[in-house]
Amino acid sequence: MGELIRVCRVSDLPDPGKAVFDVSGRMIALFHVSGTFWALDDMCTHDGGPLAEGELHGYTIVCPRHGAQFDIRTGQAKTMPAVRATTAHKVVVKGDEVYVELNEES
Amino acid sequence: MPSLNLDTSFTDEGFHNVAFHRPQPNWLKELRQRAYRTFEDLPMPNRSMEEWRRTELRHFRLLQFQAWSPHPEQAPEIPSQLIPRLDTDGLIITLNGRKLESRLDPALGQQGVVLNCLEDSILNGWEELIRKHLFSILDWKYDKFAAMHAAFWTGGIFVYVPKDIRVNKPLLHVAALMPGQADVGHTLIILDEGAEATVVSETVSVDPSASSLYCGGIEIILRPGARLRYVNMQNWNQATFHFAHQKAVLAERASLEWTLGALGGRLAKVNQHLVLDGPESEGIVNGVMFAENRQHLAYHTLQHHRTPKTKSDLLYKGALQDQSHLVWRGMIRVEPGAVKADGYQRNDNLMLSETARTDCIPGLEILADDVRCTHGATAGRVDEEEIFYCQTRGLTRREATRLVVTGFFQQVLDRITIDSVREALTDIIQHRVREYRG
Repeated sequence: MGELIRVCRVSDLPDPGKAVFDVSGRMIALFHVSGTFWALDDMCTHDGGPLAEGELHGYTIVCPRHGAQFDIRTGQAKTMPAVRATTAHKVVVKGDEVYVELNEES
Repeated sequence: MPSLNLDTSFTDEGFHNVAFHRPQPNWLKELRQRAYRTFEDLPMPNRSMEEWRRTELRHFRLLQFQAWSPHPEQAPEIPSQLIPRLDTDGLIITLNGRKLESRLDPALGQQGVVLNCLEDSILNGWEELIRKHLFSILDWKYDKFAAMHAAFWTGGIFVYVPKDIRVNKPLLHVAALMPGQADVGHTLIILDEGAEATVVSETVSVDPSASSLYCGGIEIILRPGARLRYVNMQNWNQATFHFAHQKAVLAERASLEWTLGALGGRLAKVNQHLVLDGPESEGIVNGVMFAENRQHLAYHTLQHHRTPKTKSDLLYKGALQDQSHLVWRGMIRVEPGAVKADGYQRNDNLMLSETARTDCIPGLEILADDVRCTHGATAGRVDEEEIFYCQTRGLTRREATRLVVTGFFQQVLDRITIDSVREALTDIIQHRVREYRG
């Protein structure tokens, strides 16, 4: 298991809500939906766009640049122009603290 | 390192301590002051700006770096690849942008050739020439990093070759950086009419993994008929941030062979600008890029044809492994009246992993008739059949990958006319290539 890195408190992020954190030099988009937290690289795989600046619809985040959609739970691309998943990271909540375990494989 | 009770970071107080209150002529002080105001006024580049839309800067913390610090009492070991390989006529080593040591063949010194610290040169007899050319071609208002460089630069190097003088062996500049420090050095190279020289610049980190910052500028001025071979081998460690503005202006019949190695850095953002400012001037640009791990290397090139009968030929080749990201954005611009211009640009990329990414964006802006301008860009994977063939001849998969990658770079390596530089680049690339898993 990788290192758990604290990013924020549960109460820091509304539900539904999203925010970007610098986690060990990687920009991570953190989502809070229906009581659960999810984390993705804050990068659209189509054009490198900042995902968390897009609109969040349920479990789908829409890239603000060209409208590519990603499932925040898995990072899977759901529509063109993105065809590749963005990296998803494990999130662990302990009490009021939210931690991210970076996926170093991708 | 001796402790220092001064703010030497990139702040207002740091600016006054580091750059403003130092021995220098008034014109330079005023230039710094204007640049500092621009640095303060300009926003940190962000992804809403076209040139930065593929380059992530949000994790960059400028204030963690020191713009100046005293040299340590004992100079650190400089892990240069080129010092042992290159037979030189002169050598200058800088640490954190400022001179550590230098030497030049006395016979060249007698002929008027200069290879020295830029700041020292201003104070020791070269002020008029330097004043005329310093930041004369580099636009220090271009972005926040350019302005920061113009405001904070210290040390630097100055190369001058007088009219019709030929320097036979390379002049080598090795720039070393220590952890947490910044190199904001400026390089000014002037070749007078008919002069010839080879200048090689190598960057190295003293520590293999600690973060540092380079925010530098290079100005190359070639007067009529001058010929320069210039090599810039960027080989910082993979924790260093590298921001560079580099520009060469060629007068009539001048020629430049400009080789660039983009190997190190956690994040590199470089603007390389070649201006063909006189008829029959010619520039050849060679780029060798290799990125691995999470390196992000972004190179923006401009071949600017301003006068008739000029020629530029750019070839950048890049290989990527792991989760690295290469950006190359090239432009050929031909001004009205620059007829018979011949411009070429090409960028090829070899993807050595599924998770690497490259963005290559060639461009043309042709405002004259009767020109010849072509461009191209490719990105592709290693051919599994080539790997398989090598394996059937007894090579391991890793050896096969190395062979294929070296073959990929051969086209650009063949264009580099300095043997030791070509060998160093080949060695570095071969050392870094891991097994290909397509």
